[in-house]
Amino acid sequence: MTVSLKDGLKLVGISIICACAVFVCTFFLSYYLDALSVREKVAEEAIPLYESQLLSSKLTCLISGLCLVLVCVVLLLFYVKLYLDGHAKQIGILKALGYANGKIALGFWVFGLSVLLGCAVGFGGGYAMTPVIYHQMDGKGLPEIPITFHWELFVCFVILPAFLFAALAVLYAYIKLRLPASELLRGKTELAKGKAHIAKKERPFLRELFWETLRTRKALAFFVAFACFCFSAMLQMSVSMMDLASATMGGIVLGIGVLLAVMSLLLAFTAITASNEKTVAVMRANGYTPVQCGGAVLGGYHIPAAVGFAVGTVYQYGILRLMVDLVFKGVEEMKAYSFDVETFFIVLAAFIVLFELAVCAFTYKMGKASIRKLTAE
Amino acid sequence: MIVAENITKSYTNGKTVTPVLKDVSLQINDGEFVVILGASGSGKSTLLSVLSGLEKADGGKITVGGEELSEMTDKQLTDFRKRTVGFVFQQYFLLPHLTVEGNVKLGANLANNQDYAKIIEAVGLGEKSRRRPAELSGGEQQRVSIARALAKKPSLLFLDEPTGALDEETGRGILDYLTKLQTELKFTAVMVTHNPFIADMADTVIKMNSGRIAETYKNKTRKTAYEIGW
Repeated sequence: MTVSLKDGLKLVGISIICACAVFVCTFFLSYYLDALSVREKVAEEAIPLYESQLLSSKLTCLISGLCLVLVCVVLLLFYVKLYLDGHAKQIGILKALGYANGKIALGFWVFGLSVLLGCAVGFGGGYAMTPVIYHQMDGKGLPEIPITFHWELFVCFVILPAFLFAALAVLYAYIKLRLPASELLRGKTELAKGKAHIAKKERPFLRELFWETLRTRKALAFFVAFACFCFSAMLQMSVSMMDLASATMGGIVLGIGVLLAVMSLLLAFTAITASNEKTVAVMRANGYTPVQCGGAVLGGYHIPAAVGFAVGTVYQYGILRLMVDLVFKGVEEMKAYSFDVETFFIVLAAFIVLFELAVCAFTYKMGKASIRKLTAE
Repeated sequence: MIVAENITKSYTNGKTVTPVLKDVSLQINDGEFVVILGASGSGKSTLLSVLSGLEKADGGKITVGGEELSEMTDKQLTDFRKRTVGFVFQQYFLLPHLTVEGNVKLGANLANNQDYAKIIEAVGLGEKSRRRPAELSGGEQQRVSIARALAKKPSLLFLDEPTGALDEETGRGILDYLTKLQTELKFTAVMVTHNPFIADMADTVIKMNSGRIAETYKNKTRKTAYEIGW
């Protein structure tokens, strides 16, 4: 009724993140379950390696899986909110006509489709990768581990998430739909309701707009920070993983990291552009240049980007330190690990170039905003 | 002075081309208060857009104060709007996350106008300058929108149905305030409306119908906002 199947499948970001999460979890948990079945065959001297392999698959699965699931939840809620904000008037009309909140909210189940799609692709990919991963995880004294298809993993990683996410979308929409129809018809948003922030000292207009845009759109700031966190952590981690574990593992982390970072940044910038369309259109009508508009609207996001990058650097160092010092303690083949300064600077340079390119591209896109388009709505 | 000669403009939606302005020519003198009158779909808002440099016409020539808009690049049009034009829209288009003061500064900043507080006072919102648009009534929001436009010190003010979303009392108040300011500051005002009574307040009335100018006439005397019908 309000949300079409097409809308549900539009959430490519969620599909990709789900695919990444399920991809990683599938081959690591498959390995874990299959390795458990050969415990008796493990040679005495290979027990520490065997145990650490089990622990590392469980930990990697938990860390990456949980982290990505959390991101998916936040993303989904964010999408539903964006959708409700963007369709407030249509939903207001339905409410005014007498449709119940529950009936409108039920339409949001289709958002679960993108999760289903992403999880199915991730599961298929993860299962297809198992021979390569099993081969990589092999070590001295470890018996050959048979590859088994685990139906329980299929249910847990594909069917269940789709149902849970569909239910979550419906529930969140139901909660958000409690606004009166008249407010929805007026297109009133939560943003406009809060008390105005009064700066202690007078600031130039563009600087004031820069801070207010950042301050009033915290969810978007979070996504920008998250995207930069992914870029920083995953890229630096992938290089270290190539040294510590294997090129395949490093490659997987690199691929997932770049994909996550690009998707999150794209999503965040798209949302920033959409939510500031009116601001930019008004500014352009009054004679502000696209560069001034871009600076005022996107400029503030350099701060969460820098924070995200710094946190990502610390996170990847901490997680690798933890793995090397605790999980692989006592494993002879394990190499020494220290912070890779050279990689840090290379990733930082790449990050600055890519982020600024994204800012330029979206500044150009925003410059096309037209007040005529708004008046025609 | 604004001179438009043989203006044409169409909108394309897929394969459908809809002509909106058909060979429109007009002249608006400096300091005039002009009302463009017409029914919905007559092309009056599109005419306002091309005269103000918001959009380019497909054909014809528009000259504003000796500057030819039809020859300008997008960058030059931006600069033209910055220097010359103020806008007031029916939907106000205030930025919801900025205060009244912040919204007025959006205009004032372009003209380096440090006296924007006086304009906020002048529109009667001095005590509400720290409030956000959502905390104001429709009439107050429109006054903020007017203050934002005037803070730019424009020589041309374009108004697109500025009272369209307001009740009679508030609408009259806004029009009264606008005409007084226009007389005092002597800027050129071009207002689009579908309300024929408002035409009695103008120096010149341009009636539009189906993308063409159907009639142009000058009022011998201008009525005030409280003398016109509603």
